Amino acid sequence: MAVSYFMKITKLTAAAFLILFFQGCTKDVDFNQLDDANIHATYISTLIYLNLAAPDFLDDFNREIAVTEDLVQAPINNDSKPYLEKVEFTVITENTFSRNFRLSITFYDAFGTPIYVLQPMINVPENSSELTTIIEIPKQDIPYIYNTKFFGFAIFMSPSIDGSAISINDASTFDLKSSAKLFFNFRKI
Amino acid sequence: MRRLSWFIFLVYAIGFSQNKQVLYDFTGLPQTLLLNPGAEVDNKFHFGMPMFSQISAQGGFTGFSAYDIFADNGIDINDKIKAAVNNYGTAEFILFNQQLEVFNGGFRLPNKDYLSFGYYEEVDFLGKIPRDVVDLYYDGNTVIDRRYSIKKLAARAEMLGVLHLGLSKKFNEKWNFGVRAKIYSSVFNANTKSNSGSFYTEEGTQNIYRQHLDNVNLLMQTSGVFFRNGEEIDASYVKSKLLFGGNLGLGIDLGFTHHYSKQWTITGSILDLGFVNNSKNTESFLYKGDYELEGAQLNFDRNNPQNYWSDLKEDFDNSILSDTLYKSFISFRPVKLNGSASYSFGQKQDDCRYLIDDGFYLNKIGFHLFSTVGAVHSYMAATFFYERRFSKHFQTKLTYTVDPFSFANIGLGLSANIGVVNLYFAADNLLSLNNIYNAKSASFQLGINFIFKDKN
Repeated sequence: MAVSYFMKITKLTAAAFLILFFQGCTKDVDFNQLDDANIHATYISTLIYLNLAAPDFLDDFNREIAVTEDLVQAPINNDSKPYLEKVEFTVITENTFSRNFRLSITFYDAFGTPIYVLQPMINVPENSSELTTIIEIPKQDIPYIYNTKFFGFAIFMSPSIDGSAISINDASTFDLKSSAKLFFNFRKI
Repeated sequence: MRRLSWFIFLVYAIGFSQNKQVLYDFTGLPQTLLLNPGAEVDNKFHFGMPMFSQISAQGGFTGFSAYDIFADNGIDINDKIKAAVNNYGTAEFILFNQQLEVFNGGFRLPNKDYLSFGYYEEVDFLGKIPRDVVDLYYDGNTVIDRRYSIKKLAARAEMLGVLHLGLSKKFNEKWNFGVRAKIYSSVFNANTKSNSGSFYTEEGTQNIYRQHLDNVNLLMQTSGVFFRNGEEIDASYVKSKLLFGGNLGLGIDLGFTHHYSKQWTITGSILDLGFVNNSKNTESFLYKGDYELEGAQLNFDRNNPQNYWSDLKEDFDNSILSDTLYKSFISFRPVKLNGSASYSFGQKQDDCRYLIDDGFYLNKIGFHLFSTVGAVHSYMAATFFYERRFSKHFQTKLTYTVDPFSFANIGLGLSANIGVVNLYFAADNLLSLNNIYNAKSASFQLGINFIFKDKN
């Protein structure tokens, strides 16, 4: 009894497998869809910050410096070049000086030639509390990033309206915080 | 695109199995001795067809199938990728295992013990990918305070040759024990396990964000991957390393068969209880430490210009120890455990319903548990099976397996004896045959043996 029962099971199983075998071994797949695959990933990175006081805007003779500059080496390799679509900088400033400031960020190539200036420049009004500025490098300007070897930061201090000068004992500060948002599209290249 | 198709086909369609649930304890095939050295065989002697006695490998990925992504069903591929990422577990693993039996033989000793021996080549890869790594790649790191951990990140890869010699000994009518000694010769080995560390971003105090690498401890050990003496990798190099010119190791398999009663049988085995001493061409990479970055503070000091980038790099190098080690290390083989309980029934009768062979049952049902235990990853598989002997010349086995790849893995084994020639074929994941792209794993084994039975 048991034998015949299992014989039936075996026959049914064999029939099932035959159906499976002859049904065909694949359903429709389209590997060309990979050409349309886009993986959008966004990464945030901390950048530079400043805490500048009165002496930072004065020379050795305590005279005002109209333009204060600094350079940062750009550790950029080309690995991400095909995938980077946009960069968005967030800059938060706070200024207790009675002066307006303008911050300019310039990209320099390996020969020290300026190749790109972030637009717009960041204007920091006198005695301003926390201000957030967002600057975008659009897709068409991304290649400049990969030719950049140095970022140049220049702070332009406007002259005072009443002709007064910053004193070395001035307790005012110019603070800046920044971050970058990098928008990648990991697609088939 | 064609290459990708071929890769997917190879991984999903021509996979063989490390868990050989169909082959395990199947009709006394000589290959069952490799899965349980204490298996019972009633051969006088046997030998496998060189290079064709068993070819074996497995491919699988627990995360998603090729069909999940590439189905031509009108759904945008990006939506399918998103769904696959959403369904991704805490950690999924990808594995590939391949074995090629170069030679295999055995014979019965005068004291009735069965001595078997052989040599096979094995390639094994297993990678465990944590969800945090997938999320970091797929979404980025914009979620503040989210920790992306590499704790579950682990991988092993190795290629080795295995020379083995085993003995199956019948102690009495109820117990049969077996042991197999193995010598491993490793071509290459790479492994990373027990890693820790996480990356996260939080709101800063000096700057908008502060970013952390927290408690990083990452070690990757390699042998036979990097070469300092200008050795060239070609076929003769691989051959020489497979044939005991590589890093050597020892292992042992143990197994038993117990006839609890006339119809109930219990078997068990532990395989690859062994190690390889990696002493040649070793190179290991260690990263350890904590690092936090709030950004570079520009000081606009004309008299003391700073190289901010090199300062940051120096700070990073001081915080995260990065070391390359060239010392020997021991790698343990992933241990495989098998256990089964089966019930035989349905004795063969002639036309007058007289028993033809009192100890010969036509049917066997049972339960088989497989587990692989390793430092990189461990997993289990459970199988129900039904074995049917149509005659002494033709046997079949049907299996239903639940494993990390599938809850509905149906397998089938066939073994045919034509004179002294034995042909066997075993395959699983047959439900995926109608659409191999939808299989997360697949396996089959086949081979040719020459089996000479005892006349009595």
